[in-house]
Amino acid sequence: MSGRLAAALIVTVTLLLAGCSSSDGSDTAGSGPVHLTFWSALRGTQEVVDEYNRGQNKIRVDYQQVPSGPQGGWAKLSNAARAGNAPDVATMEYPQLPGYAIDGVPRDLTDLLPDSVRRKFMPQALDLTTLDGRIYAVPVDIEPMMFFYRKDVLTKYGIQVPRTWAEFETAARELKKADPGSRLASFFTNGSQHLAGFAWQAGAQWFRAVGDTWHIGMADAPTRKVAAYWQHLVDQDLVRVEPVDSQQWRAHLQSGETVGYMAGAWAAGSLMKSTPDGKGKWAIAPLPQWDPAKPSLGTQGGSTFAVTKDSQHPEEALEFITWMVTSPDALRAKLSSGVSSAYPAVPALVPVARKEMDTSYYSGQDIFGLFQESAALISPRWQWGPRMTSTITSVEDGFAKAGAGSGTVIGALREGERRTLPDLKSLGLSVTTK
Amino acid sequence: MSTVLSPEERTGTPPSAVREARPRRAGRRGQLVACATLLAPFTALLVAVFLVPVGYAVYLSLFSEDHTGLGFGGGTTVFTGLRSYLAVLGDPSFRSGFGVIALYCLIFVPAVVVGALALALLLDSGLVRLRRTAQMMLYLPHAVPGIIAAVIWLYLYTPGLSPVIRLFAAADVHIDFLGLHTVLPAIVNIALWSGLGYNMVIFYAALQALPREVIEAARIDGAGGLRTALLVKVPIIRGTVVMVCVFALIGALQLFTEPTLMNQATPMVNSRYAPNMYIYDAAFRRNNYGLASAASVILLIVTCALSYAVTRWTGRKERSPR
Repeated sequence: MSGRLAAALIVTVTLLLAGCSSSDGSDTAGSGPVHLTFWSALRGTQEVVDEYNRGQNKIRVDYQQVPSGPQGGWAKLSNAARAGNAPDVATMEYPQLPGYAIDGVPRDLTDLLPDSVRRKFMPQALDLTTLDGRIYAVPVDIEPMMFFYRKDVLTKYGIQVPRTWAEFETAARELKKADPGSRLASFFTNGSQHLAGFAWQAGAQWFRAVGDTWHIGMADAPTRKVAAYWQHLVDQDLVRVEPVDSQQWRAHLQSGETVGYMAGAWAAGSLMKSTPDGKGKWAIAPLPQWDPAKPSLGTQGGSTFAVTKDSQHPEEALEFITWMVTSPDALRAKLSSGVSSAYPAVPALVPVARKEMDTSYYSGQDIFGLFQESAALISPRWQWGPRMTSTITSVEDGFAKAGAGSGTVIGALREGERRTLPDLKSLGLSVTTK
Repeated sequence: MSTVLSPEERTGTPPSAVREARPRRAGRRGQLVACATLLAPFTALLVAVFLVPVGYAVYLSLFSEDHTGLGFGGGTTVFTGLRSYLAVLGDPSFRSGFGVIALYCLIFVPAVVVGALALALLLDSGLVRLRRTAQMMLYLPHAVPGIIAAVIWLYLYTPGLSPVIRLFAAADVHIDFLGLHTVLPAIVNIALWSGLGYNMVIFYAALQALPREVIEAARIDGAGGLRTALLVKVPIIRGTVVMVCVFALIGALQLFTEPTLMNQATPMVNSRYAPNMYIYDAAFRRNNYGLASAASVILLIVTCALSYAVTRWTGRKERSPR
């Protein structure tokens, strides 16, 4: 009984939240500036919006900070779009974009985005926002996976920075031998996106749109290789098993019990913020490769800006977005708010970021130069699936169990696939697992 | 209106209504008006908060978003027939929710029935002093809203926060209430804590209504307290026991609050742990209202069928001569 009541309450609150956020951004009357509403959870957005509003008086942007996706941002946007009052411009992460496109939230920008603008983006980034030949969002940043490690610890034990995954295992073994209390990295029980990045690097294709059909294979040969590799590291107790961004994980990084981790380039900035004591101790290396002769990479993190279907001013909205992602002023404003090492999807902006970034934390290492080399290796074959939020959650449920000793990494991926299919079928999508 | 009323009439009112309608033909009209007036509030509520939502859910489950091919660019709402139902029934995570419920019932129903019955018999036996106070104390947890109870228990279950875990740790006993195998018992414990007192009151009320002469007769025949309780009192209130079982069963099928809160604290409770959580997840995390509605309708059918089966089965047993 109380269960039903609570469900009703939660539903009501969700609806109320969606209702409250309805905005008044679509007043077209008069000759004043066009008003745009903009939702984002990205840090430093307020500064960017202020800079934009200062710089011109044709468009007024009303920015509203929303909770990050898992904290309710995704549901908020979906509900608003369903109710017909989505903001003009919204932030969407790459994995969530296809799902939103299926729900009809973002507007098809293909005919609005001129070639001159398209050419400014890294092709791999634009590929991820191009679905079935139509562009549904504009990339903000693209985040090649990097290896963050404690330079001082590895030097102390004479351990080479691993360049291949085989070397990585050796290094993990050496470190454990030298100091049984520390580990080279962690297997993230809530890190299905990290694992997706590793699988991406190995050439996996969890989702593929071929013609009119979704081909799903979350346990394809490259994924099986990656899953078996991590399973082995977990079984041998060569890596820590814990959730990323957890108290526990941070504590291990701060105490030096965990001396490295893998994540997108953006993590460089967040490490500086979360672990200020690590200054001068941490360094960044490219992610280990399977075959150094044929290097490849996946990404982890990264966002896009989309114009919603509800927007009354798509041209102005796209103009604002184009300014945000291509203008050096916008990037400077974003960086002025604090530390951000997000790697811009527009390569022309990389020198700006490089100049603005204080890399003394990494002993002056040219981290943006490193990101640039890595970004060039991002494999263009990857595509995110139609219901990634749910797929990711399902996989992570399995990872957590595998971490607790029940089940395997590959089993979790298979279960994630099984749990995704009914949803897609009920939407009428054409799906195959061949 | 009358078509809506008919099932109610069929189950409850007809015998008396028919019997009384014959002798007093003149008062029949007035009686009908009185009946309608008395039933109106209930019927209005039934229609507003049950029949209309159920009808809407059925509609949503049959007419849902349809996409073609890859599906980009939004869909159109069309009649999709039983597609959502087939998808739900083919979803292992929906079916596993019923497995969880079955396991939950297996622990919860016997525990709450035996526990509440034992407490009620104890209170009824007159062995306990301060009967009213004891009753009050036992009932109090039920007055705490489910979500608050879950928050309190979650606090007691969370390592690093919980004084209970700290106390055990001091004695070198390490327990993880939120582990793979302990999390279901932990959820049952919360339900038990809040349900025990409530069901105890139901049993106690039934025991109070027992004819005293039967108890007296048992005592004169030389039955002790325990024997009277188990062989005389319990068989007489069997109907109440069945009712409590049915309620516990229905309550179990609606399991939502506790595991949803636990879902925030431990990955061992996933977002589709119980059927109700599956429905919530389908509607608000997957934006698939067709799927959510189909799952709701299935859950409703299962609940109705199960409660019907339980009452029917026990009813037949009651009627059959021994």
